[in-house]
Amino acid sequence: MQEQVIQKKGRGLKLSDLLVTILISIVLGVVYHFWGSVYNLFSPLFPQADEIVYGMWFLAPTLVFLLIRKPGVALIAEIAAAHVAILFGSEWGIQLVMYGVLQGLGAELVFAAFRYRKFSGAVAALAGIGAAVGSLIPDIYYGYVADYETWLLIAKYAMRALSSAVIAGYLAFALAKAVEATGVTNLLRPVADKDYAALND
Amino acid sequence: MRKFLTPRIVTWLHRANPVAKLTLVLVAFFITLFSHSLDFVFYQAIIYILLLFVLSGHAPWKVLLIILPFLLVFISSSSTMILFGKGDHLWWEWGLIRISEESFYRGIHIGFKSVSFAAEGLLFVLTTPSVALFYALMQKGKLPPKYAYSFMASIRLLPMVWEEYEIRRNALRIRGVRASRGIRSWYTQIKLYAVPLLSQSIRRAHRVAVAMETKAFDGKRPRTYYYPSTFSRYDLLVIIILSGAVGIAYIAALEYPLFGIFDVRYR
Repeated sequence: MQEQVIQKKGRGLKLSDLLVTILISIVLGVVYHFWGSVYNLFSPLFPQADEIVYGMWFLAPTLVFLLIRKPGVALIAEIAAAHVAILFGSEWGIQLVMYGVLQGLGAELVFAAFRYRKFSGAVAALAGIGAAVGSLIPDIYYGYVADYETWLLIAKYAMRALSSAVIAGYLAFALAKAVEATGVTNLLRPVADKDYAALND
Repeated sequence: MRKFLTPRIVTWLHRANPVAKLTLVLVAFFITLFSHSLDFVFYQAIIYILLLFVLSGHAPWKVLLIILPFLLVFISSSSTMILFGKGDHLWWEWGLIRISEESFYRGIHIGFKSVSFAAEGLLFVLTTPSVALFYALMQKGKLPPKYAYSFMASIRLLPMVWEEYEIRRNALRIRGVRASRGIRSWYTQIKLYAVPLLSQSIRRAHRVAVAMETKAFDGKRPRTYYYPSTFSRYDLLVIIILSGAVGIAYIAALEYPLFGIFDVRYR
C-alpha cells in the first residue's frame, strides 16, 4: 500500500494528463481560430473595441488548469491551443505560437505563485491577467505598442486585462465548476492524502 | 483541401528534416522580429515570398492564391499603428486619428513584418506534414514521446469532438431547445454545449491515454519508430538557402534602400 502511494505521487505529468490537456486545448484552439471573426465584428465599434473579447484567447491555460490542477498544464495548454493555427495553415501561425508560449507562461507563473493550490475564480482572473501581460511582451517587440499614443495604449491594455479577468478568469471558473459537477475531473486530479486515508478506513 | 495542398513537386525543403527546418524558421523569425530597419524587413518579406514560389512545390497560381490573404494580414496589422502611432511630422489629423510620417512608416513596417512571418510560417507548414514533425521532434529533438503522441492522438481525436458537437446540436434541436436573445442566453448556450463536450472529451482522452499507456506510448522505456527521422544533405542545402536569403535581404537593404529608415521606433 505504502509503496503504491509513493509511486502515485511521482512527479511530472502522465500521458493521460497530457492527452486530456492537449485535446481540450486543441478543441479550444479551434474556438480560438474562429474567435477571430468575433474579434473582427467588434473592431469597427470604436478604436480597439476588439480588445473587449481578447480574453477568450487566454481561456485554455486557466480552464485546463482549473480542471486538471497540475503544475505545467497551463503552459502546455496555451501552446497546444496556439499550435492549431499552424495546423490550419493560418498566416498568423508562427506569431501565434510565440504569443501562446508567453501567454501560457504568464498564466502558469500566477498559478505557481499560489503554489498550485488555489483554484478560485479570483486566482483564475489573475492568471488571465498574467496571460495578458505575457501577450504584452511580443506586442512591444512586434507591434511597437509603446509607440502608440498614450491614451490608446492605456485604453487597449486596460480593456484587455478586464476582458481576460472576465473571460479567462470567471467564465473559465464557472465552466470548470459545471464540468466538475459531472464528476469527470476526478479522473485526473492529483490524489490528496485524505483520499488515501479513506482507503484505510 | 487535402488534394489542393498536395505539392506538385517535391523540393529540397520537403526533403529536409523537420527539426532542422523548424530551427531555421525560428531563427529567421527572430531575425525578423528584432529587425527595426524598414528596408531590411521589406526585403525579407519579398524574398520569403519568392522562396515560397520556388520551394513550396506548388504551381505559381496556387501560391498566389495562398498568399492572397497576406494583403489582409498587411492591412489589419499596420492600420492601428498608422492611425494612432506617435510621431512628430504630422500629415493628417481628424478627431482621435493622427497620421504622422513616423507612424505611417512604423505601420507599414509592422505590416511587412507580419507578411514576413506569414511567409516564413508557410514555408514550414506547406512542406512539413505534422506527423513527420512530431516523429522528428522525438528522434532528433529529444521531445519525450508522451508529448509527441499526445499531440498526434489529440489531432486525430478532434473530428470525434466535432461529431459529438453535431450530436449534441441535434439532440437539443429534437428536444425543442431554442436559443433566446441577449447575453444571458449566450451564457446558457455556452453551458449547453461546452459542458457535455468538455466532459466527453476528458473521458475519451482519458480512455485513449490509458490504452496508450498500456502499449508503452508514454516512453518509459527505449522505443523504436515506424518512421525513422534522419538528417541529410538537404538540411545543409536548406541552411545555405535560408541564410543566403537573409544575407541578400540585408545587402539589398544596404545597397538599395527604398525608404532609408533604419529604425522605426519612436526616438
